[in-house]
Amino acid sequence: MAAAQDGNGGAYRRLLGDVTPWLDRYFTRRLPMADVDDAVQETLLAIHRRRHSFDPSQPFGPWLAAIARRKWIDQLRLIERRPDQPLPENVSVADHEGGVTAMSVLTSLLRELRPAQSLAIELVKLRGFSIAEASRETGQSPSAVKVNIHRGLARITALIEKNDHVA
Amino acid sequence: MSHDSLIDQLATGLPPVRRWSMARETGLLLGMAGAELAIFLSLGVMRPDMGHMIATPYMLWKLGSLALLATVASIIAVRSLSPLGSARRGLALAGGLAAVVLATALMIDPGAAGGLPIGHRLSPLHGMGCAVAIIALSLPMVGAMAWLMRRGAPVDTRRSAIISGLAAGCWGAFLFSFCCPSDDPLYVALWYMIGCAIVAAMARWLLPKGYRL
Repeated sequence: MAAAQDGNGGAYRRLLGDVTPWLDRYFTRRLPMADVDDAVQETLLAIHRRRHSFDPSQPFGPWLAAIARRKWIDQLRLIERRPDQPLPENVSVADHEGGVTAMSVLTSLLRELRPAQSLAIELVKLRGFSIAEASRETGQSPSAVKVNIHRGLARITALIEKNDHVA
Repeated sequence: MSHDSLIDQLATGLPPVRRWSMARETGLLLGMAGAELAIFLSLGVMRPDMGHMIATPYMLWKLGSLALLATVASIIAVRSLSPLGSARRGLALAGGLAAVVLATALMIDPGAAGGLPIGHRLSPLHGMGCAVAIIALSLPMVGAMAWLMRRGAPVDTRRSAIISGLAAGCWGAFLFSFCCPSDDPLYVALWYMIGCAIVAAMARWLLPKGYRL
């Protein structure tokens, strides 16, 4: 990175090439598959825009992790604002270990929510139910399902921001 | 676009960058604060009895605590502009320090204020004028903090903006102390706190605008 700060394009290309797989794994464990590529590229752009802020006397890993974590939170906010869409049939899971870790992180976060919120998020965001189907399943009105999803995701985002160790 | 083509685009024709340096950015901030203080004092707005007042416990408390708060908040703010810095603990520290400063106001002898009704001591009309003056005097520092925020890489923009605003507000209050005619710690504690809180709220709203990590 220090060489990249001095304008060495080759070193910079190698560095970004090396961090991309790590970013890919990082976001695969924390985001829906459809959002992983966007998050990786947003992070690469952030590294590029803010590369002057890296201090070569400090390790690179924590600097990268701090930027990636911020981009994860930004992506969660985007998901929260996005209108609900049905999940595609062929959701691919590239890495079983990543899936297990993601489920573990997600489960611990969902446990922090009110039961109605975690149930609404689980049905609509994780299991692909429509709002109407989730409403029938839970006995909540459709607007209550939407409100619970919105508030639950907001609470998850706040929890992640509050607790460094979640990242 | 694939990751590889994005990386190619970013790496092609990569220009060198000037590294972020906490010492340099803090130095710039100090230089700007010093220039503002010199300009402000050269305007001849200092209260006429300042030579005598400066050694009193009240004035020492007022100038000392505001300078301390401005310095601590500025250091926390500049530190939080790096991805590795966090303003969360710093905000709690600054809040605790402010609470201690306000509590010590109770121990300072109000002198001439003794026995006056509280409404008279707080003097809302003058107090609002003081708060507005503090806000106006803090604006150059808010501008400097906004510039630093764009140059840095804060990952928690809201907290960075709040602590930057608090630093700017305390600095504005420190400057205003040289011309403020009130000698009542209760008045200072209330109206200065309101002025600083408004600057912090303004910074929280304004500074993150247009910033993108």
